[in-house]
Amino acid sequence: MGQLKEKVPVPNKVKEVQEYMKKRVGVGTSFDVGFREITIFKKKVHLYYLTGLCDTSVIVQIIKKLVSINDQERNTSKLPEVIENRLVHQQVDKVKNMDEVVDQLLSGLIVVFIDGDSEAYIIDVRKYPGRAPEEPDTEKVVRGSRDGFTENIIENTALTRRRIRDERLRNEILKVGERSKTDICISYIQDIADDGLIKVIKKELENIEIDGIAMADKTVEEFLVKQRFNPFPMVRYTERPDIAATHLFEGHVLIMVDTSPSMIITPTTYFHHVQHAQEYRQSPMIGSFVRWIRFIGILASVFLLPMWLLFVMEPTLLPSGLEFIGPNEQGNIPIFVQILLADIGVEFLRMAAIHTPTALSTAMGLIAAVLIGQIAIDVGLFSPEVILYVSISAIGSFATPSYELSMANKISRMLLVLITAMFGVEGLTVGFTLYILGLSHTKSLNTPFLWPFIPFNLNALVQILFRLSVPAMKDRPSIVHPRNNYRQP
Amino acid sequence: MEKEKLEQNQNQNEKPMSAFVKAIVTGVIGGLLWSFLGAVTHYFNFSSVSPATFLIRSWLQTKWSDGWLGELLAIIALGLISILIAILYYALLRKMKGIWPSIVFGVVLWFLVFYLLQPIFPNIKSMTKLTSDTVVTTVCLFILYGTFIGYSISYEYYDSIKQNEPKSKAET
Repeated sequence: MGQLKEKVPVPNKVKEVQEYMKKRVGVGTSFDVGFREITIFKKKVHLYYLTGLCDTSVIVQIIKKLVSINDQERNTSKLPEVIENRLVHQQVDKVKNMDEVVDQLLSGLIVVFIDGDSEAYIIDVRKYPGRAPEEPDTEKVVRGSRDGFTENIIENTALTRRRIRDERLRNEILKVGERSKTDICISYIQDIADDGLIKVIKKELENIEIDGIAMADKTVEEFLVKQRFNPFPMVRYTERPDIAATHLFEGHVLIMVDTSPSMIITPTTYFHHVQHAQEYRQSPMIGSFVRWIRFIGILASVFLLPMWLLFVMEPTLLPSGLEFIGPNEQGNIPIFVQILLADIGVEFLRMAAIHTPTALSTAMGLIAAVLIGQIAIDVGLFSPEVILYVSISAIGSFATPSYELSMANKISRMLLVLITAMFGVEGLTVGFTLYILGLSHTKSLNTPFLWPFIPFNLNALVQILFRLSVPAMKDRPSIVHPRNNYRQP
Repeated sequence: MEKEKLEQNQNQNEKPMSAFVKAIVTGVIGGLLWSFLGAVTHYFNFSSVSPATFLIRSWLQTKWSDGWLGELLAIIALGLISILIAILYYALLRKMKGIWPSIVFGVVLWFLVFYLLQPIFPNIKSMTKLTSDTVVTTVCLFILYGTFIGYSISYEYYDSIKQNEPKSKAET
């Protein structure tokens, strides 16, 4: 690979260029790379293009203009200058080495070679196939913008730029992947974001050595935060430009990867995953209420099942007044096995719902919910209470705004159920302690994951527990180490 | 401009205090939160001791002290006592990095309370006579409390150092 890096200058003769292109890019073999020869004043002019990624109507205009030189121009001695002048497009670049030519050609730009000229002209006529911005499925709101990022990095930077017209917003682009040459953009507001963080991210991105990152953001994330066996999401993703812009204002650094509509927000803590744009679209009171309900849901999704299992195993633990908890009759299967089975059943359902086409999924839901639930009880497989508690915790994990966090919590819940089944009270308390300690020990890009709970920060925690009104939030969160602390200049 | 300068000055005046004040706040909240959790574990019979068994029922065996009022008073009292512990940690151990020292701190604190100070609380059985559930639950609570106090204080301390550094460089 090092040998390829040697720069090949653009040859003088178009014949040589053609030879080179044939060998390196496979013009003639690969059907999506094409070339067109036109003659201007008896000189050959070659035009290379990639069929799928450029805008034909623009190319036709350019060729028209070039061919018309034959009829209108008299001065044949300065042909290259004349041609450059007639390339009617705002983005024209002159390059002198073939590596750049090939890179640009394969990104969808067209390249013009003139016989006898050792420079190539590159014209940006890219037009990538893609969809228009639409509301992301995973982050819907009742009120608010229905914008969403797309797979096109240029459009994505435009969507944030529309919300931040600050001259200090920086979008730095770099290429990752020896073969895929994927564009990655780091966005931050220069006088807010932490320099150290930007440096770390840039260094990590530059150190990525891989041939391609087809899975885009996820692959980048894995290089960025060394996660290993930790199931918890170390970065937050968003497909909403308004959330992305909010985080930029707070001093976060965004990483956009071409071909993915999910932006990576860094640094992230646990509590970034429990917030939702919806809260900021309603009055602070309602927002706080929604948030509290969600917290209850998330807590239930982790701790409800092991707690209940414990009370089933040792009913003496129940304080007076709560003795009704626990199944009335002994089932045929140990309760913790029932819990795990039912949990796996919910997981089946969830997976099936993702893969099944919408037309069939209603039928599937019916079968699953009505038949399996009731019949499993009638047959004696599950006790009714198991279904109740498993459902509550399943709904709790669906109420978690971050899909990644809900999955990690699901794993924690299963482990807690297992350890409780084995060791009873001691299992649950030790499990709970390990859950908290493990999370507070985790760091994502030098940021403690459980901040602002552990390490404790009163102001920040209040902002998480209560959705404050925007005028009341004067400071930026200290966790991003903003260079400039005041939101309201 | 002047207003900005004023604000900056105020900030600088507050800065040296800030980490210490934050330690105190951490102490109060930590004491309230984890002793509340202690009361919850007692309510669900995970452990036979609760904040009230220590602080109130050791001397006052009335009816109200066994109810929620006793717990509430004990929790508030622990919130206040916790300030002392936080100040102690700030004074002695704030330079310890990471989470492990604070976990050890929690365990040591547990031994202090349940072994050394046990004679002060006539209502608490000696360490060896407690059920294993009680021991495990209280040790866990103390570890979490220690982590909360210790890790927060040392993180805040290093954070305040870090934040002061680049600023002073930029100004000179």
